[in-house]
Amino acid sequence: MDTSLTNYLLIGAVMFVSGVVCMATKRNGIAVLMGVELVLNGANINFVAFSRHTSLGLDGQVVSLFVIVLAAAEAAVALAIALNFYNNYQTIDIDRGDKLQG
Amino acid sequence: MDIKACLLTTAWLLPLVGFAVEIFGGYWSHHAPGGRFRSRLAAYISVGCIGGGFLLSLTALVFGVTDFDLSLWDSPHHASASEAPATDALAQFAVADEAPAGHGGAEQAQPGDPDAHEHNHVSGRLYELATFGKIRFAIDYYIDSLTLVMFTMVTLIATCIHVFAIGYMDDERTDEHVDHQVHISDGSHLHRPGRFYQFFAYLSLFCFSMLGLVLAGNIFMVFVFWELVGICSYLLIGFYVERHSASTAANKAFIVNRVGDFGFIIGLMILITSFGTFNFTAYNDRGASDQPGLFEMVRDHDGAVHVDETDQGRVVKFHTPNGSDTSIPYWLLVTAGLGIFAGCVGKSAQFPLQTWLPDAMEGPTPVSALVHSATMVAAGVYLAGRFFPVFLPEVLLTIAYTGAITLFVAATIAVVATDIKRVLAYSTISQLGYMMLAIGLGGWAAGLFHLITHAFFKSLMFLASGSVIVGCHHEQEMTRMGGLRKKMPITAYTMLVGVIAICGLAIPWTWAVPKIASGWDIAFSGYHSKDAIVATALTYANLNPIHSLLFLAPLVTAGITAFYMFRLWFYTFAGEPRDQELYDHCHESPWVMTGPLLVLALFAAACAIGGEQGTLFQLLSQSETHVQDVAGSAINLPTHQDIAVFHGQAGIMALLVAGLGTLLAYLMYCRRTPDPSLIKRQFAATHEFLVEKWRFDELYDAMFVRPVHVVASWFSGFDHRVLDGILHWFARTGVTVSGWDRRFDEGVVDGIVNWVAEKTQEVGRSLQTVQTGRLRQYVMFIALGVVTLFVLIFALFPET
Amino acid sequence: MNDQALFWIFAILAGGGAIGVVILQDIVRMAFSLIISLGSTAGLFFLLDADFVAATQLLVYVGGTLVLLIFGVMLTASGPFRRIQMSSGETFVGAAVGLLFFSVIAFTVIDVEWEKLAASHRPVVDAATDETGSTSRAIGLRLVGIPADTEVGVHSNSGEKTGYLLPFEIVSVHLLVVLVGAAYLARAKRHETSEATGGDA
Repeated sequence: MDTSLTNYLLIGAVMFVSGVVCMATKRNGIAVLMGVELVLNGANINFVAFSRHTSLGLDGQVVSLFVIVLAAAEAAVALAIALNFYNNYQTIDIDRGDKLQG
Repeated sequence: MDIKACLLTTAWLLPLVGFAVEIFGGYWSHHAPGGRFRSRLAAYISVGCIGGGFLLSLTALVFGVTDFDLSLWDSPHHASASEAPATDALAQFAVADEAPAGHGGAEQAQPGDPDAHEHNHVSGRLYELATFGKIRFAIDYYIDSLTLVMFTMVTLIATCIHVFAIGYMDDERTDEHVDHQVHISDGSHLHRPGRFYQFFAYLSLFCFSMLGLVLAGNIFMVFVFWELVGICSYLLIGFYVERHSASTAANKAFIVNRVGDFGFIIGLMILITSFGTFNFTAYNDRGASDQPGLFEMVRDHDGAVHVDETDQGRVVKFHTPNGSDTSIPYWLLVTAGLGIFAGCVGKSAQFPLQTWLPDAMEGPTPVSALVHSATMVAAGVYLAGRFFPVFLPEVLLTIAYTGAITLFVAATIAVVATDIKRVLAYSTISQLGYMMLAIGLGGWAAGLFHLITHAFFKSLMFLASGSVIVGCHHEQEMTRMGGLRKKMPITAYTMLVGVIAICGLAIPWTWAVPKIASGWDIAFSGYHSKDAIVATALTYANLNPIHSLLFLAPLVTAGITAFYMFRLWFYTFAGEPRDQELYDHCHESPWVMTGPLLVLALFAAACAIGGEQGTLFQLLSQSETHVQDVAGSAINLPTHQDIAVFHGQAGIMALLVAGLGTLLAYLMYCRRTPDPSLIKRQFAATHEFLVEKWRFDELYDAMFVRPVHVVASWFSGFDHRVLDGILHWFARTGVTVSGWDRRFDEGVVDGIVNWVAEKTQEVGRSLQTVQTGRLRQYVMFIALGVVTLFVLIFALFPET
Repeated sequence: MNDQALFWIFAILAGGGAIGVVILQDIVRMAFSLIISLGSTAGLFFLLDADFVAATQLLVYVGGTLVLLIFGVMLTASGPFRRIQMSSGETFVGAAVGLLFFSVIAFTVIDVEWEKLAASHRPVVDAATDETGSTSRAIGLRLVGIPADTEVGVHSNSGEKTGYLLPFEIVSVHLLVVLVGAAYLARAKRHETSEATGGDA
């Protein structure tokens, strides 16, 4: 029953790092959004693991609830933005959106 | 203060007040009657001042006659007691409490009469200006009979000339005076406002200066007023200042005078360092003390000079003011005397400084009459007379020879001169030479006697010539005049009076009657005074045969004088008119001009009545200082007894010579036998030489003027090339340095600033490439940044 | 032991899915891998006695958000956009960064002694689950503002055991805003879509 906290944290770390790498390297806009989801999930795992194994208690779970809700909201908006991007550039390749190039 | 001193001081200061008022005439004459340029008020003021001065001087003379116990007539007592004046004349310099030795005579002052002075001069201090150590500068006075006579003569002649000038300067009373001798660049004549009041202002200033000179009681004050009369002469000669000839002549007068004054200053310096005082004598009136003056130090009571042979050479011993005995080297005193005399040479236009006087005729004729014949040029003779006790025999010999040379040279030049004023100018120089000669020969009273008579007849002749000039509409060349006596009778006959006076013609009836003294011959004034001089000269030549030239020169020149003076008169007033148009237009002058002529003619004729026994000579001889011959000087000065022996001889010779000269002039210029033009051609070279005034001007030009020009050109070149070159070099260096500075500023400083800006831009541009706009890269950087941070924190802050 | 095995299964699935998202090139396959990953995460939640959260995860995340993502994939990844290649350099850099990042976090995690934190307290969640068998009631009470594992009526100001009423309300409003925003953002354009004016979006 008492799998160590460390393991959960490592899993969370794996998911988090994957998400970051995904954000950093993918050219597809939707892939970037997927990376964002991974990051948030990794954080959620951390929260819940801490709420179970430390004195954080239910607060950790409440927070991860909030995270989920917000992730959803953010995904909606991000998708709208991506679709707009697609409409404007006829491509989802985010490398095309380099008008802020200095 | 003595009444005479009060009167004379007032007479002296009156013209100064007049000057102070008149010089501002440009400002107040707006309100005068007639308006700014037409008013005569300035003239009236100056005439009033100088006329008042004359009245005061006359009053002082009257007082002087009584106070000084002067005998106006040569009483038998004086004539016989020939020894007495010799010894007790020296009491004049005795200190106040010493009783004079038998200064008796028919008119004797009451002993104990407080108004009578035992001696014949009054000297006192008016105002002390400053004291610098031992040297005192004061305004003081020295009044003896010579002073009184000079004052009277100067003020009288000045009054006559002031009145004459009212008429003569009439054409200045306009606000647009046309000067026909000045040409402007476009060929027309100069138009300028009239300067009537200025003329009278200068005349007043001159009178003030001249009277101050006469009144002075110390040699320094004489020098101050000496310079002042020089200034006034400069201003007056250069009155027509726009004329180049006039302004040049004024410069020449002043500069030549200055040359003489250089010697004067040397004399002053020697006197002050050796004697410690400038005063002539001890004061006996205001500020009386027993500090001796120069006269008392050099000559003692008998008129002798104490000469001694020491191991330093010959010295003159004297008592200093603080009582000790010192001496001055003999030759130093001679030098001092020569220095003072040098001033006289300059002022009185003696050889070699005579060149300025003929050119000074550029001034208006009243100026010539007052300044350059009667008064200023006589100041030199006056000083020589005043300073007589201090002159050692060598100095007197120099004075005599200078006078002799001068009188001969000037007379010869006058023979060929054709400008009426030039003839009179050379005549003045010649007569001044006579006066100097007389003083140099020891004939003190004779020289000053001639000064007074000369003043009258020369100013008369100048004014008459002025009348001729005005009447002939400013024509001065005698060669164009002729026969004017019919049109201008008063002028002509007053001029004749003057000419006879200067020639010394007379009717010598007393020669036939031995008892009566020669002074009663019928003659005008010049005869008596010239007679006195020739007699002195003859006596001197007999006493010192080696100096016989000093008799021959005045004798011969007397003949020449008669010749050229009558030549002048015949040329101008007799014969047929040479320029008919001139003759037709000429007219007699108005009363304001002929009146003074008549007054002066009266004095020229009558002022010396009685000759050496007359009033004037007696007045002057009261001031005569007896001087003894200095031992070892080989010069014997004639005494009155000596002169009395030769007087008759001299008189005959002089009259003969004068008569010959007159006859020759009459023959040549009235009868035309021999014809003057033939003679001129015969002696062409001599004539040329004389017309060129013995070439003195060319000589001085070559000796002095040209070298000065050369030196000036050297300095000018130095200034141009060296000094300006240095300045230009500095300027160029400054420009070059600033060029370097500019290049440094533009190259280095701007370069640094530009380099920094460029580098910043490059860095910015290079950083620009980081912003690719690509989202992935930004995220990558975020991740990398976090990782790096973590690593750094772990590396730097290891936690357990 | 069951827990252990389940944990490892779920862990491997979650991690593998995550890594698969990174590695795979095809967008659709990436989506699928993500579904697996998120689903396994829910399983992990169950193992951690967070039943309500796990359920919410499955409902909202997998069933909502991922579906949304798949919609996005469907709308945009047509034809040539299904598979967008990456250069090998970028792959290498990404891998390197990932490994580095992971090693840092792992190092931190392992280094900390969690037992000290865990030993002092009994997990409170046990008390909550013992009552009803689920945490939903406790979470619900907490959301309203009454912490279940303390006495009712006692609200401390220290911030340790308070309710989440305010965040709850804020999130609700936030969702409304998001709704409106997304609807606006994704509205149909009246004019042609070829005019790409960034400001209008």
